[in-house]
Amino acid sequence: MLELRDLVKRYRVGEGEPIRAVDGVSLNVGNGELLALYGPSGSGKSTLLDLVAALLKPDSGEVLFDGLEISALSEEGAARYRLHDLGFVSQQADLLPGALVIENAALKLWLSDPRRAQARVRPLLERLGLGDRLKQRAEQLSAGERQRLTIALALSTDPRLVLADEPTGSLDSKRGREVLGLLREVCKERGVAMLLATHDPQAAAFADRVFELRDGRLRPYEPAAVAPGARAVGGAGAVGVAGSAGPAGVAGSARAAAGAS
Amino acid sequence: MALSSILRIYRARLRVRAVVVQELLAVLGIGVGVALLFASQVASTSLNGSVAELSKDLVGNMQLQLQARGPEGFDKKLLYSVRRIPGVAQALPVLQEQADAIGPTGRESVTLLGAAPSFAHSGGPLLRRFSTAQLAGQQELGLPAPVAKAIGAESLLPIEVQVGTRISSTLLGATLQEGDIGALVNSPVAIAPVAYAEQLTGMVGKVSRIFVKTEAGHEAEVRASLVKLAAGRLNVEPADFDSTVFAKAAAPANQSAELFSAISALVGFMFAFNALLITAGLRRELVGELRRHGATRAMTVGTLLFDALILGVLGCALGLILGDALSAALFAGNPGYLSYAFPVGSQRIVTWQSVAIAVGAGMLAAIVGVLAPLRSTLSRPPRRSARVEDLPGAGPGVDRGPTAATLAAGLACLIATTAILIFDPAGAVLGSLTLLAALLLLLPALFDAVLAGFERVQRMLPSAAMSLAAIELRAPVTRTRSLAIAATGAVAVFGSVAIGGARANLQGGLNRTAKDMNRVADVWVSVSGAANTLGTTPFRIGSAARLAQLPGVRSLAIYRGGFLDIGDRRVWAIAPPASSPAPIPASQLLEGDLARADARLRAGGWTVVSKAIADERHLQIGSSFLLPSPHPIVLRVAGLSTNIGWPPGAVILNSADYARAWGGAEASAYNIDLQPNASPARVIAEIGRALGPRSGLSVQTAGQRELEWRASSHEGLARLSQISVLVLIAAALAMAMAMAAMIWQRRHQIAYLKRQGYRRGVLWRGLLCESAVLVGAGCSIGALFGLYGQVLLSHALAHVTGFPVVFSVGVTVAVSSVALVSVAAATIVAVPGYLAAGMKPSVNPG
Repeated sequence: MLELRDLVKRYRVGEGEPIRAVDGVSLNVGNGELLALYGPSGSGKSTLLDLVAALLKPDSGEVLFDGLEISALSEEGAARYRLHDLGFVSQQADLLPGALVIENAALKLWLSDPRRAQARVRPLLERLGLGDRLKQRAEQLSAGERQRLTIALALSTDPRLVLADEPTGSLDSKRGREVLGLLREVCKERGVAMLLATHDPQAAAFADRVFELRDGRLRPYEPAAVAPGARAVGGAGAVGVAGSAGPAGVAGSARAAAGAS
Repeated sequence: MALSSILRIYRARLRVRAVVVQELLAVLGIGVGVALLFASQVASTSLNGSVAELSKDLVGNMQLQLQARGPEGFDKKLLYSVRRIPGVAQALPVLQEQADAIGPTGRESVTLLGAAPSFAHSGGPLLRRFSTAQLAGQQELGLPAPVAKAIGAESLLPIEVQVGTRISSTLLGATLQEGDIGALVNSPVAIAPVAYAEQLTGMVGKVSRIFVKTEAGHEAEVRASLVKLAAGRLNVEPADFDSTVFAKAAAPANQSAELFSAISALVGFMFAFNALLITAGLRRELVGELRRHGATRAMTVGTLLFDALILGVLGCALGLILGDALSAALFAGNPGYLSYAFPVGSQRIVTWQSVAIAVGAGMLAAIVGVLAPLRSTLSRPPRRSARVEDLPGAGPGVDRGPTAATLAAGLACLIATTAILIFDPAGAVLGSLTLLAALLLLLPALFDAVLAGFERVQRMLPSAAMSLAAIELRAPVTRTRSLAIAATGAVAVFGSVAIGGARANLQGGLNRTAKDMNRVADVWVSVSGAANTLGTTPFRIGSAARLAQLPGVRSLAIYRGGFLDIGDRRVWAIAPPASSPAPIPASQLLEGDLARADARLRAGGWTVVSKAIADERHLQIGSSFLLPSPHPIVLRVAGLSTNIGWPPGAVILNSADYARAWGGAEASAYNIDLQPNASPARVIAEIGRALGPRSGLSVQTAGQRELEWRASSHEGLARLSQISVLVLIAAALAMAMAMAAMIWQRRHQIAYLKRQGYRRGVLWRGLLCESAVLVGAGCSIGALFGLYGQVLLSHALAHVTGFPVVFSVGVTVAVSSVALVSVAAATIVAVPGYLAAGMKPSVNPG
């Protein structure tokens, strides 16, 4: 479904040499697949997601979505692509201040089906545990609830792919696990693929596959590179403890923690 | 906190370009507000001040005056009797007549002042530049430079002067500059030695006034002696009585100007407040930073007050400069109709009170606007001060809607306004202010109602753009600013509709008066000159019999009229001929039976007086009263009328009674009716030929004269229209600026929406929709209250000042005001809205 081919994106900071934020990344994401991009701050994760979202144009390389070259889309075409095929979940839980929960969730559907937008999004909100909060304003929700609301918005148009950029960055570890578990669960239920960018090994463990991004380069996941002292997810395996688990083990333990099948 | 620390913080903040731009916008906002207020204040003080200054500069330190009751003056010999009164230190005669100065390129109406030589050292500053010799023997005139320029005259070149029908050639001896006579250079006066003025006016041996300076402690006895000497045929008044009489005449104009000043002040304040709300976010961050670093409340307030001081001082300085330019460019003229009876100048008079009021309002706006963020930030723990959650309305427990107390206060103000309308129409200004208070107090609730209506429409016709607009409009985060924007439009449109509507009603009434008063004859012959529009200058009946014989003329009758001081009112005396088809215009009679009053007036010994005069003197129909004319006569009241369009009021009496009361048989106009088939143009030409080229008389059809009246009243009311438009423009700018800033500050949100797939067109439509509803709601609410204000003011004009008012609901004024402000503001906002909607979705490199 999503294919990245030798993507390169450079930034110039001040008068210095250009920094390669994304440096020759190639990657395939299949339908319904959950893939984590693990790496520290400044490793190029968000830039990579922005390239996939057509928010940035690569200096070289291609982003193909169902064979369509995303980086060649016009502004209008890119907007349509983000509206229909993508969903976003970010660290900040961006929401419209002042808008009700149901309005925030229906934000994207207003563009395609304004008359039935709120009715269509209601079951999803109920599924995410926000059924009794529909008429509250977004800023009145807790951090975890806000994040669940962004998940509802991301999935409201039945996208093929969700881009999740540090979705648990503003939550404590318990709530982070809950939100990630829910996100994984709902994506799996709906067959939606997810590209998850995170610096948190516990979060990365929720993915089917994990890649590590370091200095803009994508490399296979090496648990040894994960910060020492990282704890096992749900006590069932260890992410980041050198040699204790491979990618499969990480994924398995994460799924166990989330209660996923 | 030490001033040096505050200065360091201030300088550090100014290094950020966004801060400088936003602070400059705030300075501009305060500047525009102060300018509006200052300009309207100057307009108001200039009107009264021009006559008061002339009076003061002419009479100097004189205390009393003996004044003729008509233009014929009185015997100069009386001066010797006055000088012999014990306690009189000095007595100086003045001959004063309405005249026209005629030069190579035009004619201007002036007040001819013939001054005695002793004025050169004993009068006020106006005449001190002349030497005694100049005022004694020279046979020439002095004219202020603007008058000389207007008629194309230059010093030591010949000009002509027309007094009544008498046209004399003379020499322009001196062109008086501002350096000579100060602000009076803008007064329409002509100065001549009294002896020469006698010659020019044909009033040899006559004077109009004798100004008297008394010895210390003798004023009362001198006054008593003067009253005795006057023998009921002359007036004894304070030396500066003209300014008192003028103040009465200009009261309606001043009252409306005062009301507009108040509205301008409020719009100016709203403008400045809106501008300062732009910087609220920055200041909120500053407060947060200061508190995180341990600043106490006092230190924080001190730092913000320093900000307010800088903004206020810069804004006020800019405002005073702009306001001065505005008053010079727009308000240079004065109501023309008042110049028929007063030497109204066009000088701009800036008092310290005008400056103080404008600066005070500017500083207040700066302080309130700068301290506004404190309310929401000081009540929270310092660590959270700068977060989005702390924006007003974002957190729990914040007031998000109108309280019951606000609603109750608003309704109480509305009830008070209605009570004033019903029981005390005189309190129109107070009523307008209570109505304005009601508007501001009820605005939040009414605004919410409009939004609820909009949301209902949006639910019926759902679209992404309307949904976004609805969310933004009800967002508590932006509620303060939304209400401030709506209130700006509401106040401006309120003022415009209330005063503009009342002005339209008054104009309608005056137009009807112009028709009723002039259509009683086919052709009018009267002394030429703009100052004689009302037909108040007498002339000798010499040509009447000849004119009556001309082909096409059916009849000729003598019309008389003039001004007469009754108390502190310079009243218009109207004396139509007995043959007039309608001596009392039906539309002007307020009390009394028209047919009976008409019959009584024709019979003689009866009069119709303006209701305002009757109320002041406790006169009723049938009452007798002594007309204080040159030859006082007793008349009975046959009916009560409007003021016939002349602010101090009018009396209508029989033409023969007028001749008796003024002690002369002169006419003020010939009322000529034509044969049924006669061509008016041909007859007018015949009359012109018969009168000759230098008759000093003009011949007009009733229609031409009516148009002249209309133009004059229109000019008198023009300033209200100008201020009204100015207030609307300022409001549109204020709202556009505030909305543009609001959009600019929302760029992160726009980027967020673009990330979700929103396209530029949808976002732009959403912003336009939001702007239109915001401005439209504010303006419509203002218009609604404005219509009530129109009723209030029209009622006051009719019942208090006695103006002839045609009552109508100014829907046109309301709709045009709402449309003007809404369209202007929305159009201005369209550009930044389009640019903002086109911004790139934000990107977070990392």
